[in-house]
Amino acid sequence: MPPLSRRLRRSLRPGNIAVNLALVAIVAVCLLPIVWTVSASLKDRNELYLATPTLLPRNPTFANYTWMFAQSDMSRLPLNMWNSIKVTVGAVIIQSVVATMAGFAFARLRFRGRDLLFYMLILMMFVPRAGGLMALYELMDFLNLRNSHLGLMLLFPSAISVALFVMRQNFLGVPRELEEAAIIDGANTWHVFWKVDAPMVRGGIAVVAIWEFIYVWGEYLITLTMIDFPELETLSLAVTKLQGWGAHFTSSILAGYGVESAAYVTAMVPVILVFIFLQRWFVQGLSEGIIKL
Amino acid sequence: MARRKAPNRPALDTRPDAPSVDDVRAQGAAAVATQFLRELFSLRRQEWGNPWGYVFIAPAIILYLVFQAWPILRGLYMAFSDYRWMVPATHGLAGFNGLDNWVEMVQDKTFWRSFGIAVRFSLMVMPITLILSLGTAVLISQVRNHFAAGFYRVIAYLPVILPISVAMLVWAKLFDFRFGYLNVILQGVGIDNPPNWLGSSKTALYAMVMPTVWARFGSWTMLFLIGIYTINREVYEAARVDGANGWRQFLHITIPLLKPVFVLVLVLGSGVVSATEESMILFGGTTGGPAEAALTTGVYLYRIAFIHGDMRMGYAAAMSLFLGLVNMAITIVIFKALRTEAA
Repeated sequence: MPPLSRRLRRSLRPGNIAVNLALVAIVAVCLLPIVWTVSASLKDRNELYLATPTLLPRNPTFANYTWMFAQSDMSRLPLNMWNSIKVTVGAVIIQSVVATMAGFAFARLRFRGRDLLFYMLILMMFVPRAGGLMALYELMDFLNLRNSHLGLMLLFPSAISVALFVMRQNFLGVPRELEEAAIIDGANTWHVFWKVDAPMVRGGIAVVAIWEFIYVWGEYLITLTMIDFPELETLSLAVTKLQGWGAHFTSSILAGYGVESAAYVTAMVPVILVFIFLQRWFVQGLSEGIIKL
Repeated sequence: MARRKAPNRPALDTRPDAPSVDDVRAQGAAAVATQFLRELFSLRRQEWGNPWGYVFIAPAIILYLVFQAWPILRGLYMAFSDYRWMVPATHGLAGFNGLDNWVEMVQDKTFWRSFGIAVRFSLMVMPITLILSLGTAVLISQVRNHFAAGFYRVIAYLPVILPISVAMLVWAKLFDFRFGYLNVILQGVGIDNPPNWLGSSKTALYAMVMPTVWARFGSWTMLFLIGIYTINREVYEAARVDGANGWRQFLHITIPLLKPVFVLVLVLGSGVVSATEESMILFGGTTGGPAEAALTTGVYLYRIAFIHGDMRMGYAAAMSLFLGLVNMAITIVIFKALRTEAA
């Protein structure tokens, strides 16, 4: 590493300063809506409705959050959050288990029709999804899975292609010598899967689980189509309906802005936490081709 | 087939691996279709192999067939039927009406208006997102400090992971005519009559562009960055020795070598045409904003299928198929235009 003085001088070169200034501007634009919302959620009524609002709250207060989290006739949000957690956890578990098992089979077992199915999965990605939503509505109604969290828990993980490819790629990376050694020791397929290979692909499972978490937590259109009753809505759907009832159910129309902001913050905190603390897996997921697909 | 076989040994795969997804993408859909057919015709000659295989894939395949494959096929049929949810007589196979939906679509003024809006919207979102993400990626790649580069990457990607509803709504708060911050900024720089962003039919569609770009450009930035990071440093060193300045390096090294990423980004992004969720969240349902200024085709067909009268899912499916075909055509054009040149 070059000495500090030279590093300092290099980082203070005009080109570098320009680059960093431009990036700081981009960062500011990226963060502005989030900062504004967080700040609005911490303001009291007087501050929210100033003629010229300030970016940061002068007297931060958690009143909006207390109001939001107090389960009452007015606030269904705690319930919505619980629904979100339920659906997301269910979908993540189902997707991880199902994709891991299938990824193992597609990477390591040989059976009639394996590659046929694999190519079918890829081909289907090229077919335009005409009326997929309409057909899903009919299907879910037929299966009695509309207005059901179980329905969502099955529906979301069924978009399995990407997860399956990631897991398959991970299993392909496990050294065969390990399996062969286990087989010589008398292990059967299940043992090879469970005792030898599965522990080696924990990283892949983490990638799949995190991406599914982000997807399901934020899903909007399908949930909107499948759920009719407010008490079954997930948080990311419920926040879109606040503007109406916030205005209707509070004594003053002015309670809306702050409480809405608090709800938005609550809806984004889980994904931001997961993103920041599990970044390592994100990077791995990106390079393993999740967004390549 | 040269494979070791022992009675109590699982038939692990020892043949070369099937092509990876990257190979498949490089070869395109036609190559996959050929492979698919080859597998189909050789199916009867294949050995049954390890029966555990079927047990392991069963859950995934069942989920996939029921909730993904079936709706695609059913939707294709629906597009050629007068399927109305509220009219049981049109359910199932009964509603088949040939090309009637398509004839109606051609004459449907609202449909064409919504399609025009969607196209205009995409033509705004795509170039802005492309330039912004490429620019951000190039800038971040110039940052030598690992910590700083990591920080910029995280922030640029942050909007992508937010729930789409929250991403749109935080902008709605920012846009708020009286209590939002955007107009405070605008007034600060001397614009006395800032627009009523989401409330006016003149600005509604433009106001939708900003949050959409904001929520998307991070993922493209990452793709470009991955592409730039894989370009060999020595290429740049050699160019610098030959006297190429930063701009020429960008033009003659970065851009050509990023061609695969361009293809990918454009192919992924051409789906923007429907813009259903963005409009529905920002303008609260399928209203399409003030004077339907932001009524994209996606919103219009959602309204036809789920909100209006009979719930005409057949007609909506036809519109949806039309969008899908347009997107497919765009994808093919992009593939052809950029790929042959690269070869």
